[in-house]
Amino acid sequence: MNVVNDLRKTIKKLLAEKKIDLFVGWEKGSLPMAATPIFITNEDEADRIVFDITCGNNLSVYFTKDKKQFADKKVGIAVKGCDARSVVLNILEKQIDRANVVMVGVPCHGVLDKKKVLAKTDGREVLELIDGGDTVTLKGNGYELSSDRSEILSSSCLSCIYPDAQEYDIFVGEPRGEVPNENRLKEIKEFEAMSTSEKWASTRAEYEKCIRCYACRNVCPSCYCNVCFVDQNDPAWIGNTCDFTDSMVFHIIRNLHVAGRCVECGACERACPMDINLLLLNRKVAMEVKDRFGDVAGLDINGKPAMVDFREDEKQDFIMG
Amino acid sequence: MSEWQPKILAILCNWCSYAGADLAGVSRMQYPPNIRVVRVPCSGRVDPLFIMKSLQSGFDGVLVSGCHPGDCHYISGNYVARRKFAVLKPLLEFIGIEPNRVQFSWISAGEGERFATVVTKITEDVRKLGPSTRLVKKL
Amino acid sequence: MKNKKNSVLVLGAGIAGIQASLDLAEMGVEVHLVEDTPTIGGRMPQLDKTFPTNDCSMCILAPKMSECVRHPLITLHIMSSLKDISGTPGNFICSVIERAKYVDPVKCVSCGLCEEKCPVKIEDEFDVGLRKTKAISRYFLQSIPSEYTINKDHCLYLTKGVCKLCSKVCPTGAINYEDTDKEIELNVGAVILATGIDPFDPIGFGQFGYHRYKNVVTSLEFERMLSASGPFGGHVERASDGLPPKRLAFIQCVGSRDISIDRNYCSSACCMFAIKQSIIAKEHNKELEATIFYMDIRAFGKDFDKYYDKAENWYGVQFKRSKISEIKELPDGSLDLKYTYENGDIQYETFDMVVLSIGLQPRAGSRGLSEDLDIRLNRFEFCRTDTFHPLETSREGVFVCGAMSGPKDIPESVISASGAVANAVKYLELERYDPSVGSEDIKEKDVTGDRPRIGVFVCHCGINIAGVVDVKDVAEFASHLENVEHSEDVMYACSTDCLETIKQRIEEHDLNRVVVAACTPRTHEPLFRDTISEAGLNPYLFEMANIRDQCSWAHMNEPEMATGKSRDLVEMGVSKARGLVPLLRLPINIDPEALVIGGGLSGMTSALAIGDAGHDVYLIEREDVLGGNMRDIFFNFDGTDPQQFLAETIEKVENHDRIRVLPGSTIEEITGFVGNFRTAFKDSTGKREELTHGAVIVATGGNEHETEEYLYGSSSRVVTQKEFERMLHEEEFPPGKLKEVVMVQCVGSREEGRMYCSRVCCSKAVKNALELRKRKSRVNIYFAYRDIRTYGFAEEYYSELRDRGALFFRYTLENKPEVEKIRPDDPDSRIRVTVFDPVLEKDVVIDADLLVLATAIDAPEENLELAKMLKVPLNSDGLFLEAHVKLRPVDFATEGIFVCGLAHGPKDMSESIAQAKAAGSRALTFLKKKSILAEGTICEVRTDRCSGCGYCEEVCAYTAIEVDPEEGVAVVNDALCKGCGACVSTCRCGALDLRGFTNGQLFSVFDSLEIEASEGIR
Repeated sequence: MNVVNDLRKTIKKLLAEKKIDLFVGWEKGSLPMAATPIFITNEDEADRIVFDITCGNNLSVYFTKDKKQFADKKVGIAVKGCDARSVVLNILEKQIDRANVVMVGVPCHGVLDKKKVLAKTDGREVLELIDGGDTVTLKGNGYELSSDRSEILSSSCLSCIYPDAQEYDIFVGEPRGEVPNENRLKEIKEFEAMSTSEKWASTRAEYEKCIRCYACRNVCPSCYCNVCFVDQNDPAWIGNTCDFTDSMVFHIIRNLHVAGRCVECGACERACPMDINLLLLNRKVAMEVKDRFGDVAGLDINGKPAMVDFREDEKQDFIMG
Repeated sequence: MSEWQPKILAILCNWCSYAGADLAGVSRMQYPPNIRVVRVPCSGRVDPLFIMKSLQSGFDGVLVSGCHPGDCHYISGNYVARRKFAVLKPLLEFIGIEPNRVQFSWISAGEGERFATVVTKITEDVRKLGPSTRLVKKL
Repeated sequence: MKNKKNSVLVLGAGIAGIQASLDLAEMGVEVHLVEDTPTIGGRMPQLDKTFPTNDCSMCILAPKMSECVRHPLITLHIMSSLKDISGTPGNFICSVIERAKYVDPVKCVSCGLCEEKCPVKIEDEFDVGLRKTKAISRYFLQSIPSEYTINKDHCLYLTKGVCKLCSKVCPTGAINYEDTDKEIELNVGAVILATGIDPFDPIGFGQFGYHRYKNVVTSLEFERMLSASGPFGGHVERASDGLPPKRLAFIQCVGSRDISIDRNYCSSACCMFAIKQSIIAKEHNKELEATIFYMDIRAFGKDFDKYYDKAENWYGVQFKRSKISEIKELPDGSLDLKYTYENGDIQYETFDMVVLSIGLQPRAGSRGLSEDLDIRLNRFEFCRTDTFHPLETSREGVFVCGAMSGPKDIPESVISASGAVANAVKYLELERYDPSVGSEDIKEKDVTGDRPRIGVFVCHCGINIAGVVDVKDVAEFASHLENVEHSEDVMYACSTDCLETIKQRIEEHDLNRVVVAACTPRTHEPLFRDTISEAGLNPYLFEMANIRDQCSWAHMNEPEMATGKSRDLVEMGVSKARGLVPLLRLPINIDPEALVIGGGLSGMTSALAIGDAGHDVYLIEREDVLGGNMRDIFFNFDGTDPQQFLAETIEKVENHDRIRVLPGSTIEEITGFVGNFRTAFKDSTGKREELTHGAVIVATGGNEHETEEYLYGSSSRVVTQKEFERMLHEEEFPPGKLKEVVMVQCVGSREEGRMYCSRVCCSKAVKNALELRKRKSRVNIYFAYRDIRTYGFAEEYYSELRDRGALFFRYTLENKPEVEKIRPDDPDSRIRVTVFDPVLEKDVVIDADLLVLATAIDAPEENLELAKMLKVPLNSDGLFLEAHVKLRPVDFATEGIFVCGLAHGPKDMSESIAQAKAAGSRALTFLKKKSILAEGTICEVRTDRCSGCGYCEEVCAYTAIEVDPEEGVAVVNDALCKGCGACVSTCRCGALDLRGFTNGQLFSVFDSLEIEASEGIR
């Protein structure tokens, strides 16, 4: 089975049959560690499409960050599990018309985190990367080493239980449903086991690093407000400074803004130049949303987003007795 | 003032909790003088940012109170609010904000005594914690 | 009828009287609300919670009470009684006695000093004697009006000529011992009676030991015990030893369903009341065990059975169908109950406390009142009405609502009140009016762009505030706050002279914002808003700081802290005020026509109510003929003739010059909002037409459940009650002898798939059984039933049927009656019915000539489509879901749309008529206005920030905000927005804000206090 060939064939067919006007996928990037997005309208270009461990970008951002780009077009999009959930969420949030999108599922085995790779190579440039399944070979000037796949995967992938699209129009290969992952909540549980002061010390150490560059927000498929709350004045929502409390409140509120909407794609964490463990809080919130409301963001295209829904008899253990 | 006194912000919905506070007053129930009440139409109006801003400006604790489930004057505002708090509360605890700094309650228009009890409890809880430091923005 | 008056007298200010008054006033009618006690509210304030939602009673009632007292068209006459009605309908002269209050309500500022000092303690009537009050008092803490009154039977000065303490301490000189009763005459067009009920008094009802045994209490006493604002603060304890009870028994039907005391009617509400109390008691104390001793559980209302099920299976309340024969008090105060199960087994069980579920009875003095007013009572001394005129007394122009005409729960009382209004307005001459007219007379000062100039007024409230808080210090403190141009302390901010002072200061200092630091905005904000409005300021440029309820009263022993807190509250108020902006209440045009969907009894009744009030009505019916389910009803208990009434009603509707009947029509689309609906329909010829109208009434009815149980459909001898009724009417029975007739109840009801009681079937079956007896006196009638739910006065007919020898076998879901054909291949074969008899504890076999099935009432599937078009909700049973099950039983949350009849839930003809009239009435509260004013505090959209995600739309309970599909941004419908702000806090983009409670205004409040982290409180 060759996923990439099948994917290319599928897209060619869709374009040829005019089922889509445009396809969004990935192509080999100029750097070996990052595939880049590709927008194709012509079936001849389809041979440039790739899909591998370097295809980290959540392509659904292109629907929301620049709404006009896809207006009135029938768009095909390649989706990993998390990407598909983003698309579904954006459909629920009226950002995408289901009728105008063809979701092409691809089987995902995780995407790499560049920062982890560079840690492996001690910062040496990687010139070639060979995906060998369980092991990945990294080659550069004067070195070659192999790594366990799990050691260089994005932390979002390590806790992933929906690697494949649950909502799709075409799937290249056989989609897996929910994949058990016993380590899914390990990190959260370990963090929870700490004392309040330890938690705070850890949180503070992480978030003090924040330089308010907003890379996390800019890559997030669920962040598409015309003007982000941090950039609003009249009234000003929070201080626009690098004061620690302002940064912390920004991250808390951002987390709440993506509560029930975060698909845990990990784009924010991979984009963070300061290497902040951003996803931990997102995953904690997602865990609460799942536990309390039984909701997983972007899983149910017929559902209601968690934060605008309610059940009368919900758990309310946090209410004073 | 020799002893440190905590300062607590209470955001109350107009129809139930604020009325409960009124009843506590009319009934002359005595409770600690540490809360400052802000009235909003409905607990559904409460944006989690309100709580964060209050902590930043130096309140040692924040109480948000609305109508009991089913009692909402606006039909379902408190249910909308409840989901927000259900996420905010564990998140704050997770990052290391003391669990008792921010509390939520349901108080009806007939529960003057409950209002006094809730205020007493959060005041004592916050007093035990000492002054808030973690998210206070020092200028 | 000449000289029609545009006014109505409403007697009784319980929930029914309040609802009737508000509906009338909203139609522009002047109302005189006459009430016996010193407060409005009636019985509801005594209740802790209400079934089946466990809503807090005061929480839902209080807004209606304040709306009532503030309404400019409603005049309250408290401590007053109606003595006589003379004149003619449309022009009555009512003679009203206003009893002396001995306190001038204009001067009284409700400070409570008098009550504190009064030496006379008397039993508190509101708390049913569970605590003491004083001879000068308020009826209860949240009384409206809030002014004090003197009980002349107990006042020392009025009885013995000594004391006068209250007069000495009263800071405003409000006490007037010379006050006398006054007789006044009111000229009104119609009268609505709503005097309510009294609880049955079990004293002298020896076997249960009430008053002899300390731990036997009535359900009303128990309700006060459960109430958080009650005498024990919600902590239930035994009178004997103050310990919380662990084992609680409820005894049902005390004073109900009892021939021996001539109360052979069911009080209808007590079963649910006991279930509620058992749930609440268990919520208070998880360890508590509650047992309800009953004959039948009558959970016949909407969603009642689910509540019953929850009590039994979720809360673990025990239900024991048995008779209590004896209660003995044990030395420790506990109570030994001896009871008998239906199979004759005798049991003994000990309880810590026994609650007597007392019934509802006519108000004391009903007989006298009926004689004074010349109206007739029924044999139980409830006001007499008939099936088709459930809201009319025997006297023309005098109407009745609430439980005065028979036991009712809260929503039924509210329904009957609105319904009675529809009757009353026929005797008035009402013009459409424009509430916005007059409001523009006041020239409003334009303050836009002006720097805030804030005036602060700090109230002493006599010594209520000033006795604890240093008000001069607070006023001085306020004067230094930014933008405060003027600050002073005043004795009584709400007194007439001070209101004048405020107006003067606005003038003198050119103030453009006002902050009053006094009591609660919940009661006083409207008054101050009116005041600054009179001074030319927009009423929304006002803010209050509640330094009485939250400072002086709550921290009486810590004056310094109370003063410090008052400073903070004033500072926060000033911060909020700084950001206030004028708000407008924009008028929304109201079209005068109504659309009624459904041409059954309910739809026709609603149409007539609105048509008779002078409005055009479109009555749309899917079928080609009018009448709906009523076409199959032929008898009534009271002997009235359904078919005759139906024929008359259809004739009235068809010949009404205001009603356009649209038979054979289907609705295709409904758009718009209150006052401005547009409906497209196809008529019987397939032609499409569009209507515009101001209101919609949903009266789509219900269907008979199509059962496949009990051989229905495969035997000529198995029929439904509906078919059986027609058989009785046409006297065409199955061939052969008719000797044995079996009736099976609850076919399809109260089980999986339909977890509700169809309400009418028990009474219908009893009615038909009696009719059968009239025609064939020798027939044997057998009932297989689960609970007999002949609530209200139908109970009498149930016992009549029992007396006449009908046999009743109770079955359970696990043990349903079994039926088989005696000759399996013969469709005309007799039916062998096997039913387990729990009394004899064995199977009984009956070879039935006829098997009659009481099939359930189903919600039509078409409801779903209509609900989508109207954007209104359905409940889990497919029935239309009203805005509030207790207090808004015919309204939808979306304004301008109403529901009645079976579309709302199973009910009989009488109840359908009452609700249909109520729906008409509620619609008229809009239609009688040329325009309505939108709220001032509503949501607004900054479209440049809106990303159109639709979250606001999802959380709005009023369909007041929607994303425009073309523009992709949210749009607020000012007419529908109630200003809760749920959408605002849900909007991530900051595109929404709530006027009057904007993010900016609230942020400045959170930021207003300078708090030194190390120092804490000042």
